[in-house]
Amino acid sequence: MRSGVSIPAAVNMAGVGFRKVVRALTKSKGSGFSALLSGCRAASGPAKGSLPGPFPQTPEERAAAAKKYNMRVEDYEPYPDKGEGYGDYPKLPDRSQHERDPWYKWDHPDLRRNWGEPMHWDFDMYIRNRVDTSPTVVPWSSMCKQLFGFIGFMLFMFYLGEKFPAYQPVAPKQYPFNNLHLEKGGDPEKEPEDVKNFEI
Amino acid sequence: MVTAITNAIFDEISPALIRQTNMADYKEAPLATRPRTLDPNDYFNLSPEKRRADEERAAVRSNLKRQYLTQLNNPHRNALIDDPALNRWVYARANPYPHFRPTFKTSLFGFMFGVAPLFALYYVFKTDRDRKEKQIQAGTSDRRFCHSS
Repeated sequence: MRSGVSIPAAVNMAGVGFRKVVRALTKSKGSGFSALLSGCRAASGPAKGSLPGPFPQTPEERAAAAKKYNMRVEDYEPYPDKGEGYGDYPKLPDRSQHERDPWYKWDHPDLRRNWGEPMHWDFDMYIRNRVDTSPTVVPWSSMCKQLFGFIGFMLFMFYLGEKFPAYQPVAPKQYPFNNLHLEKGGDPEKEPEDVKNFEI
Repeated sequence: MVTAITNAIFDEISPALIRQTNMADYKEAPLATRPRTLDPNDYFNLSPEKRRADEERAAVRSNLKRQYLTQLNNPHRNALIDDPALNRWVYARANPYPHFRPTFKTSLFGFMFGVAPLFALYYVFKTDRDRKEKQIQAGTSDRRFCHSS
Protein backbone atom coordinates (compact mmCIF):
# COMPACT_ATOMS: atom_id res chain seq x y z
CA MET A 1 0.00 0.00 0.00
CA ARG A 2 1.66 3.15 -1.08
CA SER A 3 -0.38 5.88 0.50
CA GLY A 4 -2.85 3.92 2.63
CA VAL A 5 -5.68 6.27 1.65
CA SER A 6 -8.02 5.56 -1.25
CA ILE A 7 -9.28 8.19 -3.67
CA PRO A 8 -12.80 8.58 -2.19
CA ALA A 9 -11.38 9.05 1.29
CA ALA A 10 -9.02 11.73 0.04
CA VAL A 11 -11.92 13.53 -1.55
CA ASN A 12 -13.83 13.18 1.70
CA MET A 13 -10.96 14.64 3.68
CA ALA A 14 -10.84 17.62 1.37
CA GLY A 15 -14.60 17.92 1.67
CA VAL A 16 -14.59 17.91 5.49
CA GLY A 17 -13.80 21.55 5.38
CA PHE A 18 -11.80 24.02 7.35
CA ARG A 19 -14.52 24.87 9.91
CA LYS A 20 -15.03 21.27 10.96
CA VAL A 21 -11.31 20.86 11.48
CA VAL A 22 -11.21 23.93 13.69
CA ARG A 23 -14.24 22.72 15.67
CA ALA A 24 -12.69 19.31 16.19
CA LEU A 25 -9.42 20.82 17.29
CA THR A 26 -11.06 23.12 19.80
CA LYS A 27 -13.28 20.34 21.19
CA SER A 28 -10.47 17.72 21.22
CA LYS A 29 -12.40 15.15 23.27
CA GLY A 30 -9.45 12.75 23.10
CA SER A 31 -10.56 10.53 20.22
CA GLY A 32 -7.49 11.67 18.35
CA PHE A 33 -6.84 12.17 14.72
CA SER A 34 -9.71 9.96 13.58
CA ALA A 35 -12.17 12.44 15.13
CA LEU A 36 -10.70 15.14 12.95
CA LEU A 37 -11.46 13.11 9.87
CA SER A 38 -14.96 11.77 10.30
CA GLY A 39 -16.11 12.21 13.91
CA CYS A 40 -16.15 8.51 14.81
CA ARG A 41 -13.79 6.39 16.88
CA ALA A 42 -12.29 2.94 16.34
CA ALA A 43 -14.15 -0.15 17.58
CA SER A 44 -10.97 -1.99 18.49
CA GLY A 45 -9.66 -1.90 22.01
CA PRO A 46 -11.61 -1.95 25.28
CA ALA A 47 -14.99 -0.28 25.60
CA LYS A 48 -15.16 3.09 27.30
CA GLY A 49 -16.00 2.12 30.88
CA SER A 50 -14.75 -1.44 30.99
CA LEU A 51 -11.25 -0.98 32.38
CA PRO A 52 -10.46 -0.51 36.09
CA GLY A 53 -10.74 3.07 37.25
CA PRO A 54 -10.33 5.20 40.36
CA PHE A 55 -11.85 4.45 43.74
CA PRO A 56 -15.65 4.89 43.62
CA GLN A 57 -16.79 7.82 45.75
CA THR A 58 -20.58 7.91 45.22
CA PRO A 59 -23.10 5.03 45.40
CA GLU A 60 -23.75 5.40 41.66
CA GLU A 61 -20.07 4.89 40.96
CA ARG A 62 -20.13 1.83 43.21
CA ALA A 63 -23.10 0.39 41.34
CA ALA A 64 -21.43 1.06 38.00
CA ALA A 65 -18.20 -0.54 39.18
CA ALA A 66 -20.08 -3.61 40.47
CA LYS A 67 -21.78 -3.98 37.11
CA LYS A 68 -18.47 -3.56 35.33
CA TYR A 69 -16.88 -6.38 37.32
CA ASN A 70 -19.93 -8.69 36.91
CA MET A 71 -20.73 -8.64 40.63
CA ARG A 72 -23.81 -7.88 42.72
CA VAL A 73 -23.80 -4.40 44.23
CA GLU A 74 -24.01 -5.94 47.72
CA ASP A 75 -21.05 -8.23 47.02
CA TYR A 76 -18.86 -5.50 45.54
CA GLU A 77 -16.34 -4.19 48.05
CA PRO A 78 -13.37 -2.18 46.79
CA TYR A 79 -10.06 -2.11 48.63
CA PRO A 80 -9.93 0.74 51.17
CA ASP A 81 -8.69 3.91 49.57
CA LYS A 82 -5.24 4.19 51.13
CA GLY A 83 -3.38 5.24 48.01
CA GLU A 84 -1.90 1.78 47.56
CA GLY A 85 -2.73 1.60 43.86
CA TYR A 86 -5.80 -0.68 43.86
CA GLY A 87 -8.28 1.86 42.48
CA ASP A 88 -11.79 0.39 42.25
CA TYR A 89 -10.66 -3.22 41.92
CA PRO A 90 -12.90 -5.48 44.07
CA LYS A 91 -11.63 -7.07 47.26
CA LEU A 92 -12.48 -10.75 46.88
CA PRO A 93 -12.12 -13.31 49.71
CA ASP A 94 -8.57 -14.62 50.08
CA ARG A 95 -9.33 -18.15 48.95
CA SER A 96 -7.06 -20.32 46.88
CA GLN A 97 -8.19 -22.14 43.74
CA HIS A 98 -7.45 -25.37 45.62
CA GLU A 99 -10.67 -24.88 47.53
CA ARG A 100 -12.97 -24.77 44.53
CA ASP A 101 -15.07 -27.74 43.56
CA PRO A 102 -12.95 -30.15 41.51
CA TRP A 103 -16.00 -31.82 39.99
CA TYR A 104 -17.88 -28.79 38.65
CA LYS A 105 -17.50 -28.12 34.91
CA TRP A 106 -15.37 -25.00 34.99
CA ASP A 107 -14.72 -23.14 31.75
CA HIS A 108 -10.99 -23.32 32.54
CA PRO A 109 -10.62 -26.55 34.53
CA ASP A 110 -6.95 -26.18 35.47
CA LEU A 111 -7.56 -22.72 36.88
CA ARG A 112 -10.98 -23.71 38.30
CA ARG A 113 -12.42 -20.49 36.99
CA ASN A 114 -15.31 -19.49 34.75
CA TRP A 115 -15.12 -17.01 31.89
CA GLY A 116 -15.89 -13.45 32.97
CA GLU A 117 -15.55 -14.20 36.68
CA PRO A 118 -13.80 -11.40 38.62
CA MET A 119 -10.25 -12.43 39.40
CA HIS A 120 -8.62 -11.98 42.77
CA TRP A 121 -5.86 -9.36 42.85
CA ASP A 122 -3.43 -12.14 43.83
CA PHE A 123 -4.90 -14.69 41.44
CA ASP A 124 -1.48 -15.79 40.23
CA MET A 125 -0.52 -16.56 43.82
CA TYR A 126 -3.65 -18.63 44.47
CA ILE A 127 -3.40 -21.00 41.49
CA ARG A 128 -3.19 -24.69 42.15
CA ASN A 129 0.59 -24.85 41.86
CA ARG A 130 1.09 -22.27 44.57
CA VAL A 131 -0.47 -21.04 47.80
CA ASP A 132 -3.14 -23.33 49.24
CA THR A 133 -5.61 -21.98 51.79
CA SER A 134 -7.75 -25.11 52.11
CA PRO A 135 -8.39 -26.54 55.61
CA THR A 136 -5.33 -28.20 57.11
CA VAL A 137 -5.33 -31.90 57.93
CA VAL A 138 -3.88 -31.47 61.43
CA PRO A 139 -4.27 -28.45 63.72
CA TRP A 140 -1.75 -25.63 63.69
CA SER A 141 -0.43 -26.52 67.17
CA SER A 142 0.29 -30.05 66.01
CA MET A 143 2.15 -28.80 62.93
CA CYS A 144 4.21 -26.37 64.98
CA LYS A 145 5.11 -29.05 67.50
CA GLN A 146 6.20 -31.48 64.80
CA LEU A 147 8.30 -29.01 62.82
CA PHE A 148 10.01 -27.23 65.68
CA GLY A 149 10.37 -30.47 67.61
CA PHE A 150 12.24 -32.06 64.73
CA ILE A 151 14.41 -29.02 64.08
CA GLY A 152 15.17 -28.60 67.76
CA PHE A 153 16.06 -32.26 68.16
CA MET A 154 18.38 -32.21 65.16
CA LEU A 155 20.09 -29.02 66.35
CA PHE A 156 20.59 -30.52 69.79
CA MET A 157 22.06 -33.73 68.41
CA PHE A 158 24.44 -31.84 66.11
CA TYR A 159 25.53 -29.74 69.05
CA LEU A 160 26.29 -32.90 71.04
CA GLY A 161 28.19 -34.29 68.07
CA GLU A 162 30.37 -31.17 68.00
CA LYS A 163 30.94 -31.33 71.74
CA PHE A 164 31.77 -35.10 71.90
CA PRO A 165 33.31 -36.04 68.55
CA ALA A 166 33.56 -39.75 67.78
CA TYR A 167 35.88 -40.84 64.98
CA GLN A 168 38.54 -43.48 64.23
CA PRO A 169 41.87 -42.85 66.00
CA VAL A 170 44.28 -40.81 63.84
CA ALA A 171 47.89 -39.75 64.22
CA PRO A 172 50.26 -37.55 62.21
CA LYS A 173 51.76 -39.24 59.14
CA GLN A 174 55.00 -41.11 59.87
CA TYR A 175 57.79 -41.20 57.27
CA PRO A 176 60.48 -43.93 56.98
CA PHE A 177 64.28 -43.61 56.63
CA ASN A 178 64.76 -41.42 59.65
CA ASN A 179 61.95 -39.08 58.68
CA LEU A 180 63.25 -38.98 55.04
CA HIS A 181 66.61 -37.53 56.04
CA LEU A 182 68.23 -37.94 52.59
CA GLU A 183 65.11 -36.96 50.58
CA LYS A 184 64.77 -33.76 52.53
CA GLY A 185 68.22 -32.74 51.48
CA GLY A 186 70.13 -33.92 54.48
CA ASP A 187 73.90 -34.54 54.38
CA PRO A 188 74.64 -38.15 53.36
CA GLU A 189 77.86 -38.16 55.44
CA LYS A 190 76.29 -36.79 58.58
CA GLU A 191 74.60 -39.16 60.92
CA PRO A 192 70.84 -38.76 60.76
CA GLU A 193 69.12 -38.21 64.02
CA ASP A 194 67.26 -41.19 65.35
CA VAL A 195 63.58 -40.60 64.98
CA LYS A 196 61.39 -43.03 66.88
CA ASN A 197 57.70 -42.90 66.01
CA PHE A 198 56.59 -45.30 68.70
CA GLU A 199 56.45 -45.21 72.45
CA ILE A 200 57.46 -48.00 74.66
CA MET B 1 -21.61 -63.54 69.35
CA VAL B 2 -17.98 -62.75 68.57
CA THR B 3 -18.97 -59.69 66.57
CA ALA B 4 -21.11 -58.46 69.47
CA ILE B 5 -18.20 -58.82 71.87
CA THR B 6 -15.74 -57.06 69.55
CA ASN B 7 -18.23 -54.26 68.92
CA ALA B 8 -18.76 -53.82 72.66
CA ILE B 9 -15.01 -53.71 73.32
CA PHE B 10 -14.47 -51.26 70.47
CA ASP B 11 -17.24 -48.97 71.68
CA GLU B 12 -15.68 -48.98 75.12
CA ILE B 13 -12.15 -48.17 74.01
CA SER B 14 -12.70 -45.88 71.01
CA PRO B 15 -13.73 -42.61 72.75
CA ALA B 16 -10.56 -42.84 74.81
CA LEU B 17 -8.36 -43.44 71.77
CA ILE B 18 -9.95 -41.11 69.23
CA ARG B 19 -9.77 -37.44 70.14
CA GLN B 20 -12.64 -35.78 68.33
CA THR B 21 -13.17 -32.07 68.01
CA ASN B 22 -16.66 -30.73 67.57
CA MET B 23 -17.67 -27.69 65.59
CA ALA B 24 -17.26 -25.27 68.46
CA ASP B 25 -13.76 -26.45 69.34
CA TYR B 26 -12.39 -26.58 65.81
CA LYS B 27 -9.76 -23.93 65.28
CA GLU B 28 -8.64 -23.40 61.72
CA ALA B 29 -4.97 -22.71 60.93
CA PRO B 30 -4.06 -19.06 60.39
CA LEU B 31 -4.87 -17.96 56.81
CA ALA B 32 -6.57 -21.29 56.07
CA THR B 33 -10.33 -21.83 55.88
CA ARG B 34 -12.80 -24.02 57.69
CA PRO B 35 -14.13 -27.19 56.08
CA ARG B 36 -17.56 -26.62 54.60
CA THR B 37 -19.08 -29.20 56.99
CA LEU B 38 -17.96 -27.19 60.02
CA ASP B 39 -19.05 -23.81 58.66
CA PRO B 40 -21.89 -22.51 60.86
CA ASN B 41 -23.23 -20.45 57.95
CA ASP B 42 -24.38 -23.66 56.26
CA TYR B 43 -26.50 -24.68 59.23
CA PHE B 44 -27.76 -21.49 60.82
CA ASN B 45 -27.88 -18.81 58.15
CA LEU B 46 -30.72 -20.05 55.95
CA SER B 47 -32.78 -16.88 55.56
CA PRO B 48 -34.68 -15.99 52.38
CA GLU B 49 -32.33 -13.05 51.83
CA LYS B 50 -29.39 -15.40 51.62
CA ARG B 51 -31.31 -17.61 49.20
CA ARG B 52 -32.18 -14.61 47.04
CA ALA B 53 -28.57 -13.47 47.06
CA ASP B 54 -27.41 -16.93 46.04
CA GLU B 55 -29.95 -16.97 43.23
CA GLU B 56 -28.83 -13.57 41.96
CA ARG B 57 -25.25 -14.75 41.94
CA ALA B 58 -26.32 -17.88 40.08
CA ALA B 59 -28.13 -15.70 37.53
CA VAL B 60 -24.99 -13.64 36.89
CA ARG B 61 -22.99 -16.82 36.60
CA SER B 62 -25.40 -18.41 34.14
CA ASN B 63 -25.44 -15.29 32.00
CA LEU B 64 -21.66 -15.31 31.76
CA LYS B 65 -21.71 -19.03 31.04
CA ARG B 66 -24.20 -18.46 28.24
CA GLN B 67 -22.05 -15.75 26.69
CA TYR B 68 -18.96 -17.92 26.88
CA LEU B 69 -20.57 -21.05 25.48
CA THR B 70 -22.16 -19.10 22.62
CA GLN B 71 -18.75 -17.87 21.59
CA LEU B 72 -17.08 -21.22 22.22
CA ASN B 73 -19.49 -23.24 20.10
CA ASN B 74 -19.72 -20.75 17.27
CA PRO B 75 -18.47 -22.68 14.19
CA HIS B 76 -17.46 -19.47 12.40
CA ARG B 77 -15.19 -18.30 15.19
CA ASN B 78 -11.54 -18.27 14.18
CA ALA B 79 -10.03 -16.19 16.98
CA LEU B 80 -9.44 -16.46 20.71
CA ILE B 81 -12.31 -15.69 23.06
CA ASP B 82 -11.50 -12.41 24.77
CA ASP B 83 -12.02 -12.48 28.54
CA PRO B 84 -12.73 -8.92 29.75
CA ALA B 85 -12.25 -9.96 33.38
CA LEU B 86 -8.75 -11.18 32.58
CA ASN B 87 -8.00 -7.97 30.70
CA ARG B 88 -9.22 -5.91 33.61
CA TRP B 89 -7.06 -7.90 36.02
CA VAL B 90 -3.95 -7.49 33.90
CA TYR B 91 -4.64 -3.80 33.42
CA ALA B 92 -5.22 -3.26 37.15
CA ARG B 93 -2.02 -5.07 38.10
CA ALA B 94 0.04 -3.22 35.51
CA ASN B 95 -1.31 0.29 36.18
CA PRO B 96 -1.44 1.03 39.91
CA TYR B 97 0.36 4.34 39.42
CA PRO B 98 -2.65 6.60 38.69
CA HIS B 99 -4.19 5.48 41.99
CA PHE B 100 -1.03 5.81 44.06
CA ARG B 101 -1.00 8.46 46.73
CA PRO B 102 1.94 9.15 49.02
CA THR B 103 0.66 8.45 52.55
CA PHE B 104 2.55 7.52 55.67
CA LYS B 105 2.25 3.80 54.98
CA THR B 106 3.18 3.91 51.31
CA SER B 107 6.09 6.24 51.97
CA LEU B 108 7.30 3.95 54.73
CA PHE B 109 7.17 0.97 52.40
CA GLY B 110 9.03 2.90 49.73
CA PHE B 111 11.68 3.88 52.22
CA MET B 112 12.06 0.39 53.76
CA PHE B 113 12.32 -1.39 50.43
CA GLY B 114 14.01 1.21 48.27
CA VAL B 115 16.26 3.43 50.35
CA ALA B 116 17.20 1.65 53.56
CA PRO B 117 18.61 -1.51 51.89
CA LEU B 118 21.02 0.61 49.88
CA PHE B 119 22.60 2.14 52.93
CA ALA B 120 22.32 -0.94 55.12
CA LEU B 121 23.91 -3.26 52.58
CA TYR B 122 26.64 -0.75 51.78
CA TYR B 123 27.49 -0.50 55.48
CA VAL B 124 27.45 -4.29 55.98
CA PHE B 125 29.59 -5.10 52.98
CA LYS B 126 32.04 -2.30 53.60
CA THR B 127 32.68 -3.19 57.24
CA ASP B 128 33.00 -6.88 56.46
CA ARG B 129 35.47 -6.33 53.67
CA ASP B 130 37.48 -3.80 55.67
CA ARG B 131 37.77 -6.31 58.50
CA LYS B 132 38.89 -9.03 56.06
CA GLU B 133 41.42 -6.70 54.45
CA LYS B 134 42.87 -5.76 57.82
CA GLN B 135 43.23 -9.45 58.71
CA ILE B 136 44.95 -10.22 55.39
CA GLN B 137 47.34 -7.31 55.78
CA ALA B 138 48.14 -8.41 59.32
CA GLY B 139 48.59 -11.98 58.14
CA THR B 140 46.07 -13.51 60.52
CA SER B 141 43.59 -14.96 58.01
CA ASP B 142 44.05 -18.53 56.73
CA ARG B 143 44.00 -18.28 52.93
CA ARG B 144 45.77 -21.53 52.11
CA PHE B 145 42.84 -23.06 50.22
CA CYS B 146 41.05 -19.95 49.05
CA HIS B 147 41.93 -17.82 46.01
CA SER B 148 39.08 -15.38 45.71
CA SER B 149 38.27 -14.23 49.23
